[in-house]
Amino acid sequence: MTNPKIKKKDRALTVSWIVVAAVYAAVFAAEQVISPNSMLFTVLKKGATYALVAVSMNLLNGFTGIFSLGQAGFMLLGAYTYAIFTIPLEHRSSVYQYFNGGVVQFTLPWFLAMILAGLVAAFFAWLIGLPVLRLKSDYLAIATLGFAEIIRAILQWNQLGPVTNGSNMLRLFPNFNSFNILKADGSVAVYLSTTVPFLIAGVCIGLIVLLLHSGYGRAFKSIRDDEVAAEAMGVNLAHHKQLAFCISSFFAGVGGAMLAMYQTTVQAKSFTTAMTYEILLMVVIGGVGSVTGSVISSFLFVACSEWWLRFLDNEQFIGDFQVPLLRNGFRLVVFSIIIMVVVLFFRRGIMGTRELPDVIRALPGAVRSLPEKMRARRERRSASRKEAGR
Amino acid sequence: MWNTVFPYLLSGISVGGQYALIAIGYTMVYGILRLINFAHGDVFMVAGIIMVYMSASGMPLWVTIPLVLILTALIGFVIERVAYKPLRSAPRMSVMISAIGVSYTLQNLVLYVTGGLNKTYPTIPLISQTVTVLGAKTKAVTLVTPVLTLVLVLLLVTLINKTKIGMAMRAVSKDFETSQLMGIKINSVISATFVIGSFLAGVGSVLYFTNYPTVIQTSGAMPGLKAFVAAVFGGIGSIPGAVIGAFIIGIMENIIKGLDVILFKSGVISAPLGLSTFSDAFTFALLIVILIVKPTGLFGEKATDKV
Amino acid sequence: MSDKKPSSQTPVLEIEHLTMQFGGVIAVNDFSMHIDQGEIVALIGPNGAGKTTAFNCVTGVYEPTNGQVLFHGKAIARNHPTGKMKKLYAGLHADKYLADPVRLTPDRITQMGIARTFQNIRLFSGMTVFDNVMLAMHLRRKSNVFSQTLRLNAAEEKQMREKAEKLLKTVDLWEVRDEMATSLPYGRQRLLEISRALATEPTLLLLDEPAAGMNPQETEELSRFIKRIKGQFGLTVFVIEHHMQLVMGISDRIYCIDFGKLIAEGTPVQIQNNPAVIEAYLGGGEDE
Repeated sequence: MTNPKIKKKDRALTVSWIVVAAVYAAVFAAEQVISPNSMLFTVLKKGATYALVAVSMNLLNGFTGIFSLGQAGFMLLGAYTYAIFTIPLEHRSSVYQYFNGGVVQFTLPWFLAMILAGLVAAFFAWLIGLPVLRLKSDYLAIATLGFAEIIRAILQWNQLGPVTNGSNMLRLFPNFNSFNILKADGSVAVYLSTTVPFLIAGVCIGLIVLLLHSGYGRAFKSIRDDEVAAEAMGVNLAHHKQLAFCISSFFAGVGGAMLAMYQTTVQAKSFTTAMTYEILLMVVIGGVGSVTGSVISSFLFVACSEWWLRFLDNEQFIGDFQVPLLRNGFRLVVFSIIIMVVVLFFRRGIMGTRELPDVIRALPGAVRSLPEKMRARRERRSASRKEAGR
Repeated sequence: MWNTVFPYLLSGISVGGQYALIAIGYTMVYGILRLINFAHGDVFMVAGIIMVYMSASGMPLWVTIPLVLILTALIGFVIERVAYKPLRSAPRMSVMISAIGVSYTLQNLVLYVTGGLNKTYPTIPLISQTVTVLGAKTKAVTLVTPVLTLVLVLLLVTLINKTKIGMAMRAVSKDFETSQLMGIKINSVISATFVIGSFLAGVGSVLYFTNYPTVIQTSGAMPGLKAFVAAVFGGIGSIPGAVIGAFIIGIMENIIKGLDVILFKSGVISAPLGLSTFSDAFTFALLIVILIVKPTGLFGEKATDKV
Repeated sequence: MSDKKPSSQTPVLEIEHLTMQFGGVIAVNDFSMHIDQGEIVALIGPNGAGKTTAFNCVTGVYEPTNGQVLFHGKAIARNHPTGKMKKLYAGLHADKYLADPVRLTPDRITQMGIARTFQNIRLFSGMTVFDNVMLAMHLRRKSNVFSQTLRLNAAEEKQMREKAEKLLKTVDLWEVRDEMATSLPYGRQRLLEISRALATEPTLLLLDEPAAGMNPQETEELSRFIKRIKGQFGLTVFVIEHHMQLVMGISDRIYCIDFGKLIAEGTPVQIQNNPAVIEAYLGGGEDE
């Protein structure tokens, strides 16, 4: 007794998988063919990093209803953990120059360091969650924001310098380029500096999607929809909120590690609340409650701010006439206005609560009805023209 | 010992008063709309920037200061109308996100206008003069601030308790829907709240930037956040609470800044511990403690939800 | 007071001297009652009499000011006035329940076998009909977050899905299982809320005004439905209701409270003729 509705869902799911695989193939191919200095790869790498962080924030804010503004703090913890444990031994004395080479004198492979980054972030989330998760939403927002600031202050404290390098930056750890496979003479045989981050982000986001479609995912959504009812149906609020908080922070930590690899240097003071705000805005624009939306909007966000709107920052001349307004910083202004427009008029974001399979499912219907719609529009127009002519 | 501590105490009282003027805006808006106006700190910063540019254009101070105050109040009014009013029936998170969006926009606007360069606040005669208080040298603004703050707070409390609009404000913060049903013009009350809050933030900016004359687009973030913590600490919705909270935070923050020096000079520690890094973190630690121990703050009231 | 040993004679639910005071207002005043295995017991009374408050004390939403609640002889709530409440307490028996207070969270109480519905329907608006019911089975899972994420619990999930299917078919909601829960008509939302409660595998079912807003025909169907699921799932049922049609139709016994105090108890016939009950309802029962 196969329900036709279920059959369609499976097909949409398969098509989604094909789309995703195609994207990965395209990224890999592009990497081998296009010059590595192209803006495209900046956008792809940074986009993948922020996509992961945005999805992790959506898990917490959008799917569990916990309005937390501490993301930057957990990213910072992840970034620092990764950096501290992967700086090659031979560079430690120069990086930790004011702290006698630092206290950590061993190196972990990047894979383990990344997992550790997530675990450290998750651990601190657990600690912070104990007092904070029972607060009302507005207070929770400010409390998590506060904790992020406290973490930022502590990591800059000179007394912790032997571990964190105080207020100096951490550098010379492996970055995305270390994924490239090199030939014997040192030149690159296979470019993987974009594909691997994509894979990392993809696996992590995949795990989050699996979680959201499981029984625990239902529990999280029930907490978002109605805490009182959820508790009455046997969902232990404290336990599940902690779970969502820690899992979200784990992936924020991994995202932080990826950000460190992307930036090639890390410094605590750059992980400000503005960073959390940007991620929140990405989530909102994509659609609170849509993983696909968060992914798409992260790439759009990065593309706009790093690449497409860059022309707004350059002074343009038409003949002798300098176009007013266009100079450094204008793109962020335009960008902010676009965000405000979305927040005020398109509250559901790009995707609302829909995911990729939903869009694919709706596609045949939309395409099939296109000639109908066009015919209807033509008829309406000729009818109104007749009216006007009379 | 006194000579070491006293200057920090003075700075604390001064900045505490400035925080208080910002905190009032937060607590009033939260009391009425249950909204954390994330953009309020940036309005405070914009007031500073406007002053910088107006003075640079050559206008005399007796023109620019009132103009800045009026413009700041106007900006607060406009932000409410454009970014918060349309979302009044939307879920709370949407309005908070809008506030964050406004904050982001204001910061980017100022970054664009200033080109990212640090701007210097014009020196205002009288309050920038150095005075000596009980052996410590400080700017006159340190003495003016607490006095001015208290005067303004008294005026505000009188307004709230003795005037019709004040009564309307109290009614709306107690019960939004019923007030509407009773015929209170909600829009006017809300606008008045934002105008007053922004006006006071403008006054605060004149005093604050006289003390800390560097103005950039991020200058409002920390004072704004701290002022909000002060409001929560004092009991969100309570104006006297916000003021007391602000003074406590201002004083504690400065004492911590000077803690190293104080402990060092009194012989407790042999070398500075670099504790000034934590002066900002202290405020947040205080916030967290308060939220856990007494979430309604010093003077707040509890409310039970009906199931 | 120590816990009693469970036996076939032990009432499923015992409420002993329950007093709930909010600040200076007494919402429930020294209320006692019991429900035996297999009974349908109704709690009636005018609006604001304290019925839902009593429910909330049983399900752990509120911590009672005084008194105790026993479920199968085991205390699930117990308290006596302490601290500030000591001075404010205006009820009776302040020194009767001085043993260690018992405070269980609602999810724990649900796990023990008490499920409830709400006066104002509280469905999960962002989830489908099917997921609403599936969620209610989460508390009986054996798997943890890792095995669920990695789909190692396929057998358990399949079992839960089959159970959900059965439940939804019982209430004729299987066809609409993929619709958003709040898109259903009001009456069917109520049925969904009841079947969601049933999915937690309770032994005691608390229904808070299940017939609210229903016409006489729907109320009749609901009566039959409640009797059917009682037999089918071996339940004991505790109902708050205003619809006298439903109350008289299904109840074995009825308790009537007003201003938080018990004013009458007995069989439907006894209650119908009780002058105190008639008085409390201001000259006759509700018209429905």
